[in-house]
Amino acid sequence: MTTRAFPARRVVSPAMRAARRRENIAAYLFMAPSLVFFLGFVIFPMGMCLVTSFFNYTMTDFSWIGLANYVEMFQDAIFGKALVNTIVIVLVSVPVTCMFSLWVASLIYKMRDRHTSFFRCVFYLPVVTGSVAVTVVWKWIFNNYYGVLNYVFKNLGLITRNINWLGNPDYALACIITILLTTSVGQPIVLYVSALSNVDHSLIEAASVDGATNMQVFWKIKWPQVMPTTLYILVITTINSFQCFALIQLLTSGGPNNSTQTIMYYIYYNAFKLSRYGYGSAMGIILAIIIAVFSAIQFRLAKTDNG
Amino acid sequence: MKKLIALFLCLILALPAFALADDQVEITLWTYPIGSWGNAETVDGIIKDFNAVHPEIKVTVQYLDYQSGDDQVTTAIEAKTTPDIIMEGPERLVANWGAAGKMLDISDLWADTKDDIIAASAAVEAACKNAEGVYYEYPLCMTTHCMVINYNDFEKAGALQYIDEEKHTWTTEGFLNALDALNAAGFAPTAVVYCGGQGGDQGTRALVTNLYSGQFTAPDHSAYTMDSEANIKALQLLQQLVNDGKLDADAGIVAGDEIALFCNSTISIGFCWNASAAVSNKASLAEDVKVFPMAFPSDDGVPELQGGIWGFGLFDNGNEAKVAAAKTFVKWVCDDPAQAAKSVYASGFFPTRASLGDIYAGTDKAENGEYAIFMPYLGDYYQVTPNWAAQRTEWWNLLQRIFAGGDVAAEVAVYCQNANK
Repeated sequence: MTTRAFPARRVVSPAMRAARRRENIAAYLFMAPSLVFFLGFVIFPMGMCLVTSFFNYTMTDFSWIGLANYVEMFQDAIFGKALVNTIVIVLVSVPVTCMFSLWVASLIYKMRDRHTSFFRCVFYLPVVTGSVAVTVVWKWIFNNYYGVLNYVFKNLGLITRNINWLGNPDYALACIITILLTTSVGQPIVLYVSALSNVDHSLIEAASVDGATNMQVFWKIKWPQVMPTTLYILVITTINSFQCFALIQLLTSGGPNNSTQTIMYYIYYNAFKLSRYGYGSAMGIILAIIIAVFSAIQFRLAKTDNG
Repeated sequence: MKKLIALFLCLILALPAFALADDQVEITLWTYPIGSWGNAETVDGIIKDFNAVHPEIKVTVQYLDYQSGDDQVTTAIEAKTTPDIIMEGPERLVANWGAAGKMLDISDLWADTKDDIIAASAAVEAACKNAEGVYYEYPLCMTTHCMVINYNDFEKAGALQYIDEEKHTWTTEGFLNALDALNAAGFAPTAVVYCGGQGGDQGTRALVTNLYSGQFTAPDHSAYTMDSEANIKALQLLQQLVNDGKLDADAGIVAGDEIALFCNSTISIGFCWNASAAVSNKASLAEDVKVFPMAFPSDDGVPELQGGIWGFGLFDNGNEAKVAAAKTFVKWVCDDPAQAAKSVYASGFFPTRASLGDIYAGTDKAENGEYAIFMPYLGDYYQVTPNWAAQRTEWWNLLQRIFAGGDVAAEVAVYCQNANK
């Protein structure tokens, strides 16, 4: 007969247990405000959104309809168009934002502090400027009749007659993506400048002494060390792109011919203009699932040993 | 000692509530920017005058805009935080929130003024109630939406011959001739059919329905009738004019942008105008712009203009004291002998009571009175047709598809199918 050896239980005195309990209570109390806020304004609305997506919830009705909202959604041609537009926005704006931010950050992080700060301010300005003000300026730039873009392009000989940038389905989505880029690059640039500044300089010097080229230094030393920042930027930019709303509402209302319709705007339209809260909730659930899938893929692809 | 201090503090905190409960009933008013009813200085002045007579009622005001106002009301309805009074028109008060059972029946307010209102316009009385005769709006003011031309451009182009300067009307043929004359004289773009959103869509609707005397809805407001022969013909004409370069269509702008184009002299004709727009845009007119309001062109020369009727509705918040106070306020604003004309004057529009007569004669807004010439052309108030909110989106989407080259009859069929759901 053999006996199993159990690790000796640590004897905890009642006084220690009481002290630990006090610590736990204190910790929970510190967490409580954030927890209440998170539960009340994130978890509870998400739960409500899921529940109402199974109801015909309007201003006058609240009746169970099971999966009917979801069935209708996948038969809704405008939802399909909005989904495609949203994915196009994400697939274009996320890589461009990341690459452009990294490129700008690579150029400015080595400059003198004063100059780095100046460029950080310049690129961050559209982020802190209200979206209404930004769109008013862009609306003027894109104006069909007296817009500065048409004026410049005509004087450069690139076009012969004015282009209706926001009123033409061929250009409208590209214009929205362009504006989105200007408001999206500020934060990634600041983060990349910070991440590149924190790269271990001794490794770069050692590689240079060993004959590594600038490209090799970047890809072998800097890139792996800024990967956690890149992952964060990818996820945040993806979520922001999926939730592109204010620009659409202020500039195109989803037109022309639904060419700038996005899921977020279509949710808003159904919930607030048509009072179809249940249908809007169902689209919100699908959008959340799509964002979660995209984020998971990004985490998977950008996974590193230290990230 | 600590208990005493705590009790004392609680009493101090509760004092304002007791004071209000004893002396005042507090009600809230939400108002859309209907002329100067969107101006805090004007509304504060009205409330100050009201409190001189009714100090027992405190009125708190929140100002809405047409961009986000509906969203705020929708949110308030779901959160059960609606105001006691809201100022807007029948398309919202009657056809939307009233039909959804959110508004109070205010038929009692009409008891002593119904005849006076009908004498001003029977269409107003009809628009303020639902099919069962329940009144959800108590009207204050009304107008007819018209269009506008730059008189100077027309004069230079020799196009004045195509308009009736006395009646401010023209025929469809005259409109087409005027476009030709303007284009020949180099005034291009002449006008823009805006369709970038629902803002100011009353202008494009009136343009289409008047060209060949079509109707936007069935007479009983049971369906949208853009698929009539007259309306399809009108849309085909507009499509042709755009294709020929005699007229512009722009899916990137709404009425506000079009008004700006008119005011800065980029275009010679505007499709979205009224008495209030004339006042609010006066300061932004370019030097060479001379505003000349016009009715929409029609084949028979007799236009049918879309009306705007604004007034007050009461949300059902289940508090009788507040309802009584709200009714007192609304009645005072609309019918008090010393106040009624001032309330209408603030809107820049016309009274819905015949007894008030011409309120603008001899005032700073005397030119507003000129727009009264259009009141006889007030057409059917079809904005109370069911599914109105969805129809509005379908409308500008229809125009976008047509001006992008879509087949008019086919696109109209899609519009009618969606709008009449």
